[in-house]
Amino acid sequence: MGAGASDLAGVEPRGKVARAGLGDLPELCAAEVLLRLGAPDVCRLARLNRAFRGAAAADFVWEAKLPGNYGRLLRFVDDAEEGGSGRDWSAVGKKDVFARLAKPVPFDGGKREFWLEKSKGGICMALSSKALVITGIDDRRYWINMPTAESRFQSIAYLQQIWWFEVVGEVDFCFPAGTYSLYFRLHLGKSSTRFGRRICSSEQVHGWDKKPVRFQFSTSDGQHAVSQCYLDEPGSWILYHVGDFVASCSEESIKLKFSLAQIDCTHTKGGLCVDSVLIYPKGFEPERVIKAQK
Amino acid sequence: MAAAADSSGDGGTSSGEKTIVLVSSDNSARFEVREAAALLSQTVRRMIDEAGADASGDGITLPDVDAKTLAKVLEYCNKHAPASSSSSAAEAAPPAEGEEDLERFDREFVRVDMGTLYSLVTAASYLKIEGLLNLTCQTIADMIKGKTPEQIRKTLGITSEFTPEEEDEVRRENAWAF
Repeated sequence: MGAGASDLAGVEPRGKVARAGLGDLPELCAAEVLLRLGAPDVCRLARLNRAFRGAAAADFVWEAKLPGNYGRLLRFVDDAEEGGSGRDWSAVGKKDVFARLAKPVPFDGGKREFWLEKSKGGICMALSSKALVITGIDDRRYWINMPTAESRFQSIAYLQQIWWFEVVGEVDFCFPAGTYSLYFRLHLGKSSTRFGRRICSSEQVHGWDKKPVRFQFSTSDGQHAVSQCYLDEPGSWILYHVGDFVASCSEESIKLKFSLAQIDCTHTKGGLCVDSVLIYPKGFEPERVIKAQK
Repeated sequence: MAAAADSSGDGGTSSGEKTIVLVSSDNSARFEVREAAALLSQTVRRMIDEAGADASGDGITLPDVDAKTLAKVLEYCNKHAPASSSSSAAEAAPPAEGEEDLERFDREFVRVDMGTLYSLVTAASYLKIEGLLNLTCQTIADMIKGKTPEQIRKTLGITSEFTPEEEDEVRRENAWAF
């Protein structure tokens, strides 16, 4: 960094007029700086002075941060919100558009949702266990739905025990152009709270050390990945990385199919929480990630 | 850098390349530069287009850029100017210098005090020099990334002009981002 801290905007000796500094940047220049910063920084800088506040509200600053197909994404917002279909989005400031898309937008009856990741403006998506096809999900000997605050959907699918473990899902969406990673969010062991402390019980955890689980993933335009790994870290939520895909065009939707399975029927397995499938911009890893072996 | 005044706006360098004379706001300095360098400024380009055949030999006065800043800006333009200066090629042609050399130059170029950086940003904005605007704004962005307004105000000696009510309002408007 080259700026000398001694050269501040301030009065020089002998009462000369202060030299202009960052605080005197005209609004247009402030906006040019904000174009190069993420949403949280822009919103922080709005508090700096009037020029930055004005610049932080400028449409062109926020339009540059929105994904190319934000018009399409807003239609999901209209569908999700009561009385939303009447809203004229062209009259809404782009900052407010960004703010709305940065909050989860549910679809598919609330079983799925997407949102803009604030720092870089990439799209994230979560598919709840209810959006996935789980073999034996209706049989309470095998699976039970457990309410929990540890899931953004407030409930997870808990596997007590089963021979044929298979979780399959698909999604068809107009992801803005970019590279994304797909994960299964899993937790070995059952967690509960006692006296305000989180306790994890591994009583029912079994069978995962016999054979690895298999992850598979493919897209409608021919991208695919296969990998496997042993589930052996109980006690915390882990994002198991299935694969990466590239969405080349924001205007076209891409169809993804993915699965997680361990169908060796010589042994049972259980004690596993399946929360969701997550799709994040590549590099965004808000929780512990494990990459399976090919 | 300040060259002796050239009465003809079409003065040439020894290699015969076309040059343009730019004059600072206070009229204190005149700079003769290669056309290719001057045309990196969209504002200068437009001024030349508008002046047309009437272009006098007095050079182009830039009312918003003082001598010290203009000298520095032209240092950038001369370094980044393409080798040839035919008007359409000026934008498309690569600069005469190598990529790495330019990066090193850019890094050193912005090693200046805040006052100079401020002058460069405003000049780049007024003159519409894309590369320089990008470089200076990115430099400022990198300096303030991740800092709170209080930290920035302290480091750079900016006072807040907001009333407590305004301060609250701004805070509320922007709370969604955190």
